[in-house]
Amino acid sequence: MRFQDRLFFISKSSLATVLISALPVLGSSDAGNHSENAKTHGFFSYGARFVVRYVKASYRDDPFRTFLELCLVLFIVWYVSKQKYKFNQVDLKLSEKDIEELIKEWKPEPIVPLMTTHEKEVFDNFPVIDSPTGTVLKLDNGKSVINFVSHDFLGLMNNANAKEKAVNTLRKYGVGPCGPPGFYGTLDVHMELEALISSFLKADATILYSQAMSVCVSVIPCFSKRGDIIVADDQVNFMLQQGILLSRSRVYWYKHNDMEDLKKVLEKIDQVESKKKGPIPRKFIVAEGLSMSTGNILKLDKIMELKKQFKYRLILDESLAIGAIGPRGAGTTDLFGISVKDVEILIGSLCLAFGGSGGFCCSSKQLIGHQRLSGAGYVFSAAMPAIMAITAADGIRRLETDSYALLNLLRRNIATLRSQLGRIKDIVIEGDIRSPQMHIRLTESAYKKCISSNLNSSNEQTWENEDHVLLNIVSHMRDNGILVSQCVYVKEHEHNIPRPSIRVLVSCTHTQQQLEKLSQSLEEAIKAIAK
Amino acid sequence: MKTSLHSKTSLLTPESSTEAISSKMKDVNPEVGSLQPRKRKGNTVSKATQNEKSVLESSNAQAPTKEKHKGLESVPIFTLITTYLSYLILILFAHIRDRMGKLFYPGQYALLRESDGYAPLISDFESLWIRRLYTRISDAFNRPITGVAGGHVTLLERTSKDHNKTFELTGKKTEVLNLASYNYLGFAQNTGYCADQVELSIKNLGLSHCASRAQGAQTKMILETEKLISEYLDVEDSILISMGYATNSSVIPLLVDKGCLIISDELNHSSLVSGSRLSGATITVFKHNDPSDLERVLRRYISEGQPRTHRPWRKILVVIEGLYSMEGEIGDLAGIVALKDKYKFYIFLDEAHSIGAMGKHGRGVCEFLGVDHKKVDMLMGTFTKSFGAVGGYIAGKKDLIDYLRLKSYSSVYGEVMPIPVMEQVASSLRLIMDIVPEHKGEGPKRIKQLEENSSYFMRKLREMGFLILGDQGSPVVPLLLFNPGKIPAFSHECLKRNIAVVVVSYPATPIITGRVRFCISASHTREDLDYALEQIDEIGDLLGLKLLK
Repeated sequence: MRFQDRLFFISKSSLATVLISALPVLGSSDAGNHSENAKTHGFFSYGARFVVRYVKASYRDDPFRTFLELCLVLFIVWYVSKQKYKFNQVDLKLSEKDIEELIKEWKPEPIVPLMTTHEKEVFDNFPVIDSPTGTVLKLDNGKSVINFVSHDFLGLMNNANAKEKAVNTLRKYGVGPCGPPGFYGTLDVHMELEALISSFLKADATILYSQAMSVCVSVIPCFSKRGDIIVADDQVNFMLQQGILLSRSRVYWYKHNDMEDLKKVLEKIDQVESKKKGPIPRKFIVAEGLSMSTGNILKLDKIMELKKQFKYRLILDESLAIGAIGPRGAGTTDLFGISVKDVEILIGSLCLAFGGSGGFCCSSKQLIGHQRLSGAGYVFSAAMPAIMAITAADGIRRLETDSYALLNLLRRNIATLRSQLGRIKDIVIEGDIRSPQMHIRLTESAYKKCISSNLNSSNEQTWENEDHVLLNIVSHMRDNGILVSQCVYVKEHEHNIPRPSIRVLVSCTHTQQQLEKLSQSLEEAIKAIAK
Repeated sequence: MKTSLHSKTSLLTPESSTEAISSKMKDVNPEVGSLQPRKRKGNTVSKATQNEKSVLESSNAQAPTKEKHKGLESVPIFTLITTYLSYLILILFAHIRDRMGKLFYPGQYALLRESDGYAPLISDFESLWIRRLYTRISDAFNRPITGVAGGHVTLLERTSKDHNKTFELTGKKTEVLNLASYNYLGFAQNTGYCADQVELSIKNLGLSHCASRAQGAQTKMILETEKLISEYLDVEDSILISMGYATNSSVIPLLVDKGCLIISDELNHSSLVSGSRLSGATITVFKHNDPSDLERVLRRYISEGQPRTHRPWRKILVVIEGLYSMEGEIGDLAGIVALKDKYKFYIFLDEAHSIGAMGKHGRGVCEFLGVDHKKVDMLMGTFTKSFGAVGGYIAGKKDLIDYLRLKSYSSVYGEVMPIPVMEQVASSLRLIMDIVPEHKGEGPKRIKQLEENSSYFMRKLREMGFLILGDQGSPVVPLLLFNPGKIPAFSHECLKRNIAVVVVSYPATPIITGRVRFCISASHTREDLDYALEQIDEIGDLLGLKLLK
């Protein structure tokens, strides 16, 4: 019996008790002459004797009435015991035959839906690479292409030094650690890498996760629980969205990188919350340093102010920013000169700029200790292979020792490419001018032209049609030796799907000619598609 | 076997009738019952060993295997009482210490209090267990190692000066026998065929692609490895996913969503639970490893339809594991597959621990139990355990896998599997499939060795009178410790004797059944196991663990 039902039962039975106890009172007008001498007795003995005397008296006076009253009592008993339905749930009384029939009739949908034409097109357009990793790749059709799809901003991928270290590590540690960190999976190289990240970012403590994807999904539910408040940018990357979803907290979204809107949202929440009593909920702002889906840089200084003013904590995802922006290449905090220690929870990745695998979270010692027991991706997942930890550590050390040269090269390449792309009339480049990840869209007029010349069936400018145009451009560019990719999303699960775009990732290893070739080939492709 | 009799009455399929035979056999010989054979394979596992030990076993074999279903009646009442009492005292002291601590050292508890308008990040109540109970024994967990986690492993010694709050490395290293890592087939190696292949790949191809599969990092190597997996598992197609945990947590949301029903075994792994939660589908559980309870749930939910609206479900996904890693128990796949045709649900089978480690060719529980793997819609497994790599796969029909290639979170947003890891997967798989001419017979030898090792180890422990969970054939052998005081004691005693073991207690297990979990590997020699058994025997006497003696 559930709590509600029990409550209901109690209320019903108390009703009956009241009725039963009221009976003698109803009859007391008859037997009123006895009531005076009862005052001296206790309530219960009085009541019992009263009832006995009353029944005797009434039987003598009117046996029919006693019978009637007995019927009434029986009716109440029957009434109380009869009603057994439950709240919130209609108990369908189905016979075995009905159930069998329902089971026979029931038809499930196929486990996955058929791909739509657009999805099929995207799927078939995945290139297959058949060469070592690097700036120039070879596709399985024998064509060689320049790589603009790897997050290899610092050119650390596929360098001879890292490979040699990896082989040495392999010969000492093997590949997999064969267990989660808690069960003899913590290697000395993991602890060294954690210490290295802490010292590089000047953070208190760091925890490693074996996959970048699992960091957000583990960290957010670890601290933000049901009833807590999360205020998040409405364009945060997908894994942050999943982490927020998994935490089951109350979510409020603010417009992408719009600090005015954030302030409004915070004020509104403050108004509602200040009226509530009880303990304060935990309150978080979730934002991305360098946005995956737009390439914008967070206004961190403003957000630090707001979070202090409204007493929020910041969960900052620096996956893309670390190794790409800031004077030392240490991300948005570096760029704004804000101490990492002032950011309560900082998430980073090792599989992008540093060429390793996995991700990490920086925070205070106690919060990191808490994650070692409650972070699902840490507790339940196998530890990071030693090879990848060493590779990531090597990448960070390279950046530390050579930050000036590497970052300058990267900045020069970003500037060059931006100025070259700026000459193309038909495109819009989204994102901050310092971002090595650029999102390229066509202008409205160019979209219209391309859609009308490409799609005969419908000229509508839908998400799919825009994506279709970009896809054609991408594959045209690939045929001309440039590998870029249009952004792929799991559209139906995204909170706020960004407009389709072509993603270009600049590395410091790209030469001026390669960058020039990119803008040329993009221009040609648009011309060819628009006709 | 109660369970299979139930399913037999409701469904007279060939599978259940064979089960009925095996369940009858159980009545005759308790040892056979403990195998949970379900089909032909189980009987052949240890026929040779049955006769010699049946006298010893018949008195006590029944209890250890079916502890879950029969309750704890075979455990002396004294043990149960002392266990509950210990926890009571521990919790009582935890509260007293907390009160005192907050009174006298408020500074240490600052993190648990509201301060300056900020709510505490860690809840006082939730963290009590960790602060007061786990910390006492935390030296038994997170022990750092160096080198390969093979049959033996090098531990880095550490000490704590502040009652396990922080640890310091002493710099001393000790080599210990490793009964803790999931290195079932012994592929955690830095020499040999796999390591050589990995070295070649690093030199030829590099390390990683720094991109996701859907955005330009689909390599020929991925496709080839996937083809190899499909061939090995004899399925239409398969997809490689770079992380084991994410294989579950990021694929389930693509298969089911609102309006769908997930029926999950109550002891499923956390990754399956978090995947189910992310999906937005209605979730319900059935009793651990009990097809008859699954049938009850199915009948109820199909006939009632969706809550409130009573519309029919869009699809129903039954999520189970092949080998339950905390229990060492093999899932009752035959019983569940038998229900499939009638109730039209889809099966998601997590073979994280069983793939490679079970079955004649290492193809997992389907092969071990003789169940047709084509009946299972999604075969999931990881490479962390038997293959000495990391990551996972999903295998099934081609349209399903293509859909996942396009849409799975891992292919769209995640990193691709690093090249050395992928090569480890491919090369160990080639050995298991026995298609490397220079190393003919190595893979099957490992599989056979593992089976011999684990059944020998489990049998010997049972003979000693320990309360052992787990089915015959499982490389995971859990030994029940009960009393919370014995949990760290067992770990410490083992470490003293140079054996690394994993101890687990609440919340990973029910509060009463704290346990030590041995993971047997093909790289253990008979001497290793004999040494371990001898030491465990001693520890068992010391700690009074032989409850069935």
